[in-house]
Amino acid sequence: MALEKFEYPEVGETLLKATLPNGLRVQLVPKPAYHQTYAMFAVDYGGIDVRYQPAGSSEMVQDPEGIAHFLEHKLFEKEDHDAFALFGQTGASANAFTGATNTAYLFSSANAVAENLTTLLDFVQAPYFSDETVAKEQGIIGQEIQMYQDDPGWLLYYGILGNLYPDHPIAQDVTGSLASIAAITPEKLYRAYRTFYQPSNMTLTLVGHFDPDQIMALITANQAAKTFAPATPIVRGVAFDGSLAEILPYRAADLPVIRPKSAVGLKGQVDIPDDEAGTRYKLTILLLLEMLFGDSSPLYQDWYDRGWVDDSFDFEFTAGRTYNYALFSGDTDEPSRLSDAVAAVIANGADQPSLTQARFDRIKQASLGKYYMSLNSLEQTANQLSAQSFYQVNDFDVAKIMRTISLADLKAAAATFFDVDALSVFHIRPEVEP
Amino acid sequence: MRTELTQGVYLNVVPTTQFKTTRVAIHFIAPADATTYAARTLLTSVLETSSAAYPTQSLLSAALEQLFGASFGIGVAKDGQMHRVTATLNLVSDQLAQAPLLASGFALLKEVLMHPLLADGEFDAQVFGREQQNLAAYLGSLDEDRQLQASMATQRLYFEGQPAQMTPSFGTITQLEAVTPASLMQTYQQMLAHDQIEIVVLGQVTEADVLPLASALGFAPRAVAPMKLTVDRPVGKFRTKTQTAHVNQAKLNLAYHVDADLYGRKYFANVVAADLFGGSPLSLLFTNVREKASLAYYASAAFDPFRNMMVVQSGIDGQNAKRVQALIAAQLQAVQTGAFADDLLDRIKEGLRNSRQAAYDSPRFLARQELLHALAVNHQPGFAAYAAAIDAVTKAEVQAAAQTWRLQAVYLLKEQEEG
Repeated sequence: MALEKFEYPEVGETLLKATLPNGLRVQLVPKPAYHQTYAMFAVDYGGIDVRYQPAGSSEMVQDPEGIAHFLEHKLFEKEDHDAFALFGQTGASANAFTGATNTAYLFSSANAVAENLTTLLDFVQAPYFSDETVAKEQGIIGQEIQMYQDDPGWLLYYGILGNLYPDHPIAQDVTGSLASIAAITPEKLYRAYRTFYQPSNMTLTLVGHFDPDQIMALITANQAAKTFAPATPIVRGVAFDGSLAEILPYRAADLPVIRPKSAVGLKGQVDIPDDEAGTRYKLTILLLLEMLFGDSSPLYQDWYDRGWVDDSFDFEFTAGRTYNYALFSGDTDEPSRLSDAVAAVIANGADQPSLTQARFDRIKQASLGKYYMSLNSLEQTANQLSAQSFYQVNDFDVAKIMRTISLADLKAAAATFFDVDALSVFHIRPEVEP
Repeated sequence: MRTELTQGVYLNVVPTTQFKTTRVAIHFIAPADATTYAARTLLTSVLETSSAAYPTQSLLSAALEQLFGASFGIGVAKDGQMHRVTATLNLVSDQLAQAPLLASGFALLKEVLMHPLLADGEFDAQVFGREQQNLAAYLGSLDEDRQLQASMATQRLYFEGQPAQMTPSFGTITQLEAVTPASLMQTYQQMLAHDQIEIVVLGQVTEADVLPLASALGFAPRAVAPMKLTVDRPVGKFRTKTQTAHVNQAKLNLAYHVDADLYGRKYFANVVAADLFGGSPLSLLFTNVREKASLAYYASAAFDPFRNMMVVQSGIDGQNAKRVQALIAAQLQAVQTGAFADDLLDRIKEGLRNSRQAAYDSPRFLARQELLHALAVNHQPGFAAYAAAIDAVTKAEVQAAAQTWRLQAVYLLKEQEEG
């Protein structure tokens, strides 16, 4: 299998790409100065994919929430062994995680990369689910769910998402609930597996110390030796949600916390494509938020001096298949003042005094620097490349795209994205003992 | 490579071309004394948010943005009997930025550390009040993280009667409330004039590049009395404590005394034994308590070589506490009696070697190794020495190490019962 080579001289990185006959896409980033290798086997299937047409059927089904995460846990356990142990034999670390739109299985190791890569490909491509193992997993994941219920940050996050997305599964905990995971059966796991774990819906990313030709030969031979069902188109039943009508403007919860917490959510009304324009838009929003709410902004300093925020204040912009939103949150003794202040900034739209050219130039340069620094970490590079492997652009394109963004772009983005009708607020208040 | 800049002030340079960044850390090291922790922590907040050159956070953040988005922070930490205040600056390498960022970075560190924002010889009253209040609110909210709450409570129980070890490195609210602007100034002056200083610089640099920059920080010579790194609380009375809170998942922690010698043979035997017991996904705690018995979401053991202790942490259903504790004891006994497969031991050792080699891809790890090498007499740098020492550990040594573990404290945080 021939590898296509892409050079990124600005960041000193090389990306090699190939698509196998079965549709599996492979991306390799050799880093000879490093000691270890990260390998990630990813599926374009995550927590939100609970409605879909099963492979070979034209009827939409509804799965229990948490099934993608459950499947991820269960894939490690085989009839007579545990895949974790196989990685462990060579001293490699193995892990997996489920996000809203994808699931990834990974190992990292400083040696025996070929052996571990075979293990990775083989365990993910050989499912084994039984009544007994499903029942046992319900106990383990039940513990995980309960642990998250004790995490106020987690509750705040899903509280505000629940306000923004009452009818979209992005607001449901990726792990599901005790009730939803109780409805998971081996049959449902096999059905989801057959639908989404097709090689053409998966990518394999390696970053680190390895010989790309040897690795590619291994992958090609491994895949050629296996039989796969013919690829079927994937029909998903979850559509883009940019609707304002359902937003719950305000909710609060009384919980056993010590400090009140405030979160403001801003729902994106336009679907963001997975191409260069979409990436550019996402970077534009991130720069916009950094200019308005970042550490060097006059607003942040003012709120800090007034005691409305401390350094727990944070903001993010998240965009995925079928949703995008900005969140602003923090611990604060003045939850209402903080959420009102954020809303007032949003209400100003593109008319923001801190959007000056001098600050823009500085913040853009700083963002480029932070991006360069992020490339130090093999793990982060592998994560980013893997997460974007279902997109048309990748992490090494970021610097080039960021350079093209202007202050006028930020103002234009503010004019469309900032909409007071797309806002919602969630507060967590300390419980008062009866 | 360690060079004495002036008495008590050392520069450690780690030249490497592996990374796209330069990492600078300035460590102020003093003997662990619980009465100073809160003040030293408040000092980090005050210095981090205001200086004469950058009176507000906005101005400091703008300066960092100008340095290509450098990241900067000051924090506290403790290893054994040494308490550290550490200022860390991460920069894009001069080569990649095509600008002298390292020199500008040192100039910024000097402004922040040597020229705080003062009025009439005292820290700015407004800054002081606000940072004291913020830190108190932060310390007050730590128990929202139940795992951390259980971990701090376990430490208090194990080290009862030893304030320097039972108190977290950042101090307590009570201590914090006692700090005044005048006492904070004393803390600052004490640190600046008397702490041992270790400067660690890692990146595409040479010692010749860094030496003039580090010297220009202007630290005065100081006589530093030799400090001891390790602390060993002798085996004593077994202690147990149960607390209740509104939690869904209970936390059960067990603390053991460990007989070890820092970076000696017993140390490496304990590293292997602790990893076999509960440090890896192959460990007995993970496979038997979490996976086979499904009794815990997490169950792991961590060895603290600077304090001769090991702590097992687990997240469980509170009703199962007795069963889980018995199961943990059974795993410990298996390590002590050698009731584990020889090839499991080999895999554990391979895992330790592998993750150690992987750590050499992390600037933070490499910089910490350099610091430990400066502070600990027997520390051997480099992967080869570590790998050889792990290889040399025998099954008999693993058993002997585990046989020294003495359960000293059991802490349970569980659901509040209704009614």
